[in-house]
Amino acid sequence: MKRDPVILIVVAMVVSIMLIFGIQKARHGSTSSGSNKILNQPAPDFTLTSLDGKTLKLSDFHGKAVLLNFWATWCEPCKIEMPWFVDLQKKYGPQGLQVFGVAMDDASPKEIADFAQKMGVNYPIVIGKEEVGTLYGGVQYLPSTFYISRDGKVLDRVFGLVSRSEIESNIQKALSTQVAEK
Amino acid sequence: MRILHGSRWPGCPHPGGRASLARLRAQRSWAGEGTRPCIFIALPFLFLLTVFGQDSPGSRRPSVTLLPNEVVSVARGHSGTVELIFRIPPGFHINSNVPHQEYLKKTELKLDAPTDIVVRKITYPDGEDRSFPFAPQEKINVYSGDFTVTVVVRPLKTVLPTKYAVHGRLKYQACDNAACYPPREAPVTFEVRVTKASSETRHKNTPQSPHTHP
Repeated sequence: MKRDPVILIVVAMVVSIMLIFGIQKARHGSTSSGSNKILNQPAPDFTLTSLDGKTLKLSDFHGKAVLLNFWATWCEPCKIEMPWFVDLQKKYGPQGLQVFGVAMDDASPKEIADFAQKMGVNYPIVIGKEEVGTLYGGVQYLPSTFYISRDGKVLDRVFGLVSRSEIESNIQKALSTQVAEK
Repeated sequence: MRILHGSRWPGCPHPGGRASLARLRAQRSWAGEGTRPCIFIALPFLFLLTVFGQDSPGSRRPSVTLLPNEVVSVARGHSGTVELIFRIPPGFHINSNVPHQEYLKKTELKLDAPTDIVVRKITYPDGEDRSFPFAPQEKINVYSGDFTVTVVVRPLKTVLPTKYAVHGRLKYQACDNAACYPPREAPVTFEVRVTKASSETRHKNTPQSPHTHP
């Protein structure tokens, strides 16, 4: 049976590209209509209490590139990301990155604080509420991460664990944005 | 089936069963002149399948379900075992009853039995130690597929012999290979038919004195 090797190579390449594109698209939650609506829109502001009892607003970080991470102590993949966030906060903090954790947990604030301390967290964590999740299209699975530009718009959102390099690439995109002039 | 046996798309093998397909195969190579348009027609469909058929986290909801179970007959005053088989959808896992990590949510069956039916013991199966792409170095003790929880019930001696429903819920927390889902509860119901103990029956059949029952 004769087979044209050029055609076979082209088909294999096209299928591979489609697979990669499909996986990327799925990871970015293209099927999640709720969170699609907030893309390129101003990030919904919220006020929540931090682990040390302070009141924090998302808008407090206006002018910074924000990595908003919804997580929970019972979420294994979240635990993998946290040390990455710690490193990335150290690396990109001086350039204007602010990692901001929202614990969607039913554990007590003390348990969450103990967990965060064990993980060496160096960024603020607030105790999440269902309503805040709803503002972001309903956080139905964790981790869910939103990348917010310096002028407060949702640039992208990623559901589930992705590679550190992808997280870093999204951070760089957020850092490259400009603060809108008032 | 039509695609397998041929189609009316230009450039694709024409329907007409195996004979015509075999003829076509003899005439054309797999990626030869005749089938090239077919490949390029199929590619956009493959593209759509790839993009929209991809399982993103949350595109499916993990719901653990209790499989239908038989009514178990238990003599009052005695213990009986009920086997509850739960099913986890493919691609998901839940933590076992004894997860290795303290902060993980364990799978737990909570039963609200009728007052006269005592739940004596709930036995969970051993989980499976597995590593996942998100934590390749770590072993997590999980259930996946089907797993069986056994419940030992003991109706009190005084309970009326009839069928009783026991309700409860299975608390679990599911994950897939990349994301975790909030803790959930699956409703659980099973029935226990309480019968008289054989000793009671024997006692009842014992001939009584005519003086006691005139």
